[in-house]
Amino acid sequence: MINLTINGKAVQAPEGSTILEAAKAAGIYIPTLCYDEAVEVYGACGLCVVEAQGIPKLLRSCSAKVSEGMVVNTESERVVRSRKVAMELLMSAHDGDCVAPCQLNCPARTDCQGYVGLIANGEFDAALKLIKNKIPLPASIGRVCPHPCEKACRRKNVEEPINIAQLKAFAADMDLKSDSYVPETAPASGKKVAVIGGGPAGLTAAYYLAVMGHSVTVYDMMEKMGGMLRYGIPQYRLPKEVLDKEIAIIEKTGVKLVNNVKLGVDFTIKSLKEENDAVIVAVGAWKSSSMRTKGEELDGVYGGIDFLRGVIKGNAPEIGEKVAICGGGNTAMDACRTAVRLGAKEVYVVYRRTRAEMPADELEIREAEEEGVIYKFLTNPLSFNGENGKVKSITLQLMELGEPDASGRRRPVPIEGKTEEIDVDSVILAIGQKLVTDDVKELSLNERGNIEADPDFFTTSIDGVFAIGDATNRGASIAIEAIGEADRCVKVVDAYLKGIDVETRVPYISRRDESTIDYSDREKKARLTPEVLPADIRNKNFDEVSLGFTEEAAKEEANRCLECGCREYYKCKLLKVAQRYDIDPARFKGEMPQKYTRDENAFIERNTSKCILCGLCVRSCREVMDIHAIGLMGRGFKTDVSPAFALPLNETKCNNCGLCVQLCPTGSLTEKFNLPKQVPLNEEYTEEFVEIDGKKSSVLVSRYNGKVLRVIPNDAISRNSGLTREELESKLS
Amino acid sequence: MRIVIGQGSCGIAAGAEKVKKALLNTGVSADSISITGCIGMCWLEPIVDIYDDENKLTRLVKVGEGDAEKIARFVETGDKALVESLVVSDEDSEFLSKQTRIALRNCGIINPEKLEAYTAAGGYEALKKALSITPEEVIEIIKTSGLAGRGGAGFPTWFKWNAARQSAGEEKYLICNADEGDPGAFMDRAVIESDPHNLIEGMLIGAYAIGAKHAVVYVRAEYPLAIKRLRNAIAQAKEAGIIGENIFGSDFSCDFMIKAGAGAFVCGEETALIESLEGHRGMPRLKPPFPAQSGFWRKPSNINNVETFANVAWIINNGGEAFAAMGTEGSKGTKVFAVTGKVKRSGLVEIPMGKTLRDVIFDIGGGMKTDKDFKAVQMGGPSGGCIPKELIDTVIDYKALGATGAIMGSGGMVVMDESTCMVGMAKFFLDFTAKESCGKCIHCRIGTKRMLEMLERITKGEGKEGDIELLEELCYSIKDGALCGLGQTAPNPVLTTIKYFRDEYEAHIKDKKCPAGECSDLIEYKIIADKCKGCTLCARNCPVNAISGTVKNPHVINTEKCIKCGKCFQSCRFGAIVKE
Repeated sequence: MINLTINGKAVQAPEGSTILEAAKAAGIYIPTLCYDEAVEVYGACGLCVVEAQGIPKLLRSCSAKVSEGMVVNTESERVVRSRKVAMELLMSAHDGDCVAPCQLNCPARTDCQGYVGLIANGEFDAALKLIKNKIPLPASIGRVCPHPCEKACRRKNVEEPINIAQLKAFAADMDLKSDSYVPETAPASGKKVAVIGGGPAGLTAAYYLAVMGHSVTVYDMMEKMGGMLRYGIPQYRLPKEVLDKEIAIIEKTGVKLVNNVKLGVDFTIKSLKEENDAVIVAVGAWKSSSMRTKGEELDGVYGGIDFLRGVIKGNAPEIGEKVAICGGGNTAMDACRTAVRLGAKEVYVVYRRTRAEMPADELEIREAEEEGVIYKFLTNPLSFNGENGKVKSITLQLMELGEPDASGRRRPVPIEGKTEEIDVDSVILAIGQKLVTDDVKELSLNERGNIEADPDFFTTSIDGVFAIGDATNRGASIAIEAIGEADRCVKVVDAYLKGIDVETRVPYISRRDESTIDYSDREKKARLTPEVLPADIRNKNFDEVSLGFTEEAAKEEANRCLECGCREYYKCKLLKVAQRYDIDPARFKGEMPQKYTRDENAFIERNTSKCILCGLCVRSCREVMDIHAIGLMGRGFKTDVSPAFALPLNETKCNNCGLCVQLCPTGSLTEKFNLPKQVPLNEEYTEEFVEIDGKKSSVLVSRYNGKVLRVIPNDAISRNSGLTREELESKLS
Repeated sequence: MRIVIGQGSCGIAAGAEKVKKALLNTGVSADSISITGCIGMCWLEPIVDIYDDENKLTRLVKVGEGDAEKIARFVETGDKALVESLVVSDEDSEFLSKQTRIALRNCGIINPEKLEAYTAAGGYEALKKALSITPEEVIEIIKTSGLAGRGGAGFPTWFKWNAARQSAGEEKYLICNADEGDPGAFMDRAVIESDPHNLIEGMLIGAYAIGAKHAVVYVRAEYPLAIKRLRNAIAQAKEAGIIGENIFGSDFSCDFMIKAGAGAFVCGEETALIESLEGHRGMPRLKPPFPAQSGFWRKPSNINNVETFANVAWIINNGGEAFAAMGTEGSKGTKVFAVTGKVKRSGLVEIPMGKTLRDVIFDIGGGMKTDKDFKAVQMGGPSGGCIPKELIDTVIDYKALGATGAIMGSGGMVVMDESTCMVGMAKFFLDFTAKESCGKCIHCRIGTKRMLEMLERITKGEGKEGDIELLEELCYSIKDGALCGLGQTAPNPVLTTIKYFRDEYEAHIKDKKCPAGECSDLIEYKIIADKCKGCTLCARNCPVNAISGTVKNPHVINTEKCIKCGKCFQSCRFGAIVKE
């Protein structure tokens, strides 16, 4: 035996063993990408380098042998620097998306590609479970979310984005129809958490904390839970029955819901903190913003959310026949469409820019118009004019678009001396909402009057008190933003309760340069939307406008997904090594070596643009299987793995043994699985045994949601058997 | 009188074959004409050497077909006046007279296609001598001589031989690396074309020393003449019992094989060379194990460069001490350089170690061929580095050259004057190594490509603050992380140009100017109105009609249209066009 020291630890290793083998036996991890015991050492990736005392060069630990008294450092500054640059170079030439853009653009990082793909495959319950990993209120959110995911969806470059939000609502509705999914909860932790506010943020935090085994109580000032989802969104968009069902599921996880209690009246943050191990403040923003326009104090001028809340609670204010709504966002749309339904004859939307700049969802704008709403674009209220203290008319300043402002939209500028006056019975100001500052005066506030919360850890000025959602930092935003914050906050609170550290650093992932993607080979297929009630019927009642997807339509729409995210995301060794080091491949941004091309046979798919040339596929095909179906071609940066004689893979001697796929450290080679739509899934792999010609043979079985996805040969017998994946699967006991 | 025509690749390219035919046409007897290899004075080819009956040489240079008649009459009459205009000048003769030739001792003198010519010059005596002593004694002589690997790395030859000798196993291989790939280097080609038996003799001595029964020459396929002459020499040696069983009646047997490489630069790296020999893609193997333990067919193998072997016979004949008497403390013997570029006399130069770069470039090479000043010399090709004029007195010694950031290298020496852009020069070599990378390791495959892209941006005027530092960081990472010598040395041209010409990089990046006026994206051609005579020549030469003006009036260049080809600049006879 040889005695050596690795990272200060005394290690013994048999003579002739490599440093890598010695480190592995001693439980010390050294990253490798081109090494595998099945084949001869190669030395391409250079990630296994280590520093040895007295040796000026870095050693590749996969080949350097141990020697007596050797002092090795596997994580020295020089070693880390070398690996970091290697990874930066490698990733600068790795043209692939780890995760689809839809997921990245979702503030809650919902696995959109995953559930869309599962819906396409008809795996509705699996889809719902995947959604519920990130959103506990998917039927509600699917209906109301302005879906940033769809803005990022690359299908828009073919024709239109996937209808992701409606697909989410579909999967959730399917779940609500029968036995709804209630996640298993972890054993009770004995820790108590109070959540102030039962809106999307508070409910989300409560749900995930409960699943983690904590005892959670939600306190809310209103009669029912739901917050702005209940009191800010009209019934025709989100029927409250749907919300009720979803809240009932949250309650089933053990969350206690307490309504009609108000912060500052019934309890304080400090009093809750005394009774609990942690407090999460998620009180929302419940005050309508002012326009600071003359005449705002007149009777008949209402705040947008105040108006909506009144309608929902059954005490709608008097709005008369002529109503003007000021603003261009979704609250303005909710207000104008509600006004129509209340029976107003002339409903105006006053907006200072044009339709193209309106922040509201395009569908909402269109549906409101169908229902008779009149848009007054490029106008801005100069004054609300009253008679006997009641609003009578609005003087509008006519505007034109000037230079773009900080938001990139063209700034509206008044046209000197041009005004217009419209008669109104009431005005609804839907230009934003604010926190009621008095409620949270126990905490430090920022200059905007919102709670100051750490953007990563959500901590506030009081230890153990965390704050999330509309009440914090930059103020009100969309529900999914609050849900995302709640999800991240829960991880921090859980760590806080357990007294452990938590990592909030966003790990590196690889993303393709959007400008280089070619869609010309994609067949155009129109986006499907659920049917809606006819405008002349729906404008007279509060019935839900959207009728939701049918199963067939949902599957068809989900099938349009381009599958941008990598299927090997969950087991990509390359990504794991990349995330180990704080890398910035953009420093070396340059040409990509390979064109994005796909080649496949019945079981294996090749994507050369992700190849890192570790050579494991080529070497295993040659050294282990003696098949030589693939080899290296070209030189320098253009080097490429190619099937023999540059033929398509299925015209080579490849026998589909799958060893190359098994050894591929990234998503360049993937094994297809038994579902029509290939979805990146966190599969579970188990080794099982089958009988082939009377001999016991090992196979790897991947399962997801209880279903077998792939059966992969795992020894010489199964690899050389010539059996198809289906035949192997049929042999499973 | 004997007529000897220089028929190395250089001579043939310059027209030596035509001269020979023309001479035969004049009636000169074929028997009186013989050939020799590369004389080394490549800029004077074709060269015809006439030896009179007392073996006195008259060297005629830059000979054309039209000179055949004169030469024939001179041979007939001995009247030197006939060929006076062709006789090499005294000044040019110094190119050879100032050299000390050991590896090249027979080059340009003997007929490379005749074994007798080699034996007449004392050939194969060293082999006989070596076979009369033990292999250990042979290694001891080489050790005394201080001979180090001439391929570039400068590793002591005796040490490698000894390691291979000590390695267990009956089956061993001796391999000659003749995959000379540096742009501008042609030392090895000249040795094989001009004195193939010297290589064979050196290799046989090496094979005897390490205990190999098989000798292999890996030579680039782009050297057809070298391959042809080496094949011929091997056949002659076999017939004479010099190659084969029981050589010179001894117990020593050795066969010989030639393998033509397929043109990959990386196959000059010893482990990639072995992969290629075995029929695989030329990619380096991990070291350890070193070839001395596990090489060709996983057997102990020793690999030396052509020039290294070319010294061996001389050392055995003259003793290790004689070789060691030349040179410096750490570098013994002589070194051959292929001097090219902006130097007046380009060709093969062999001089003792310890001479200075000035001796080679100015004393032997004659200085610059243009009126521009000497700027720098690139040593060791793409793996080497540049040495600026301030360091022109650096002595030729492995350590001293290494200290400059350049390397001794295999002997390529590219001389540059003030008109060479050093960023452009680094880019040229990086382009070469990036393309020649085998693609195996990350640092070399992607790192050299990214460096090249940065250099391309800089020379286009798209460089940005921080680029130099990023380049340096990448350089050191590649040196540290690359798998083989190709990658580990690829950053040298960049590092040395940054070290000595940082201001030139900064001018490209900050001022968007190329001080040498070579980067076309960063220069502009202008006509100085006062100097322009309105001759219209420039306008007529402009391929894109970017120059306008009327006769006898100053012309103007439309810089929007100008493609910066430089035709106008070259054509102007009044110095009215300037590059800025």
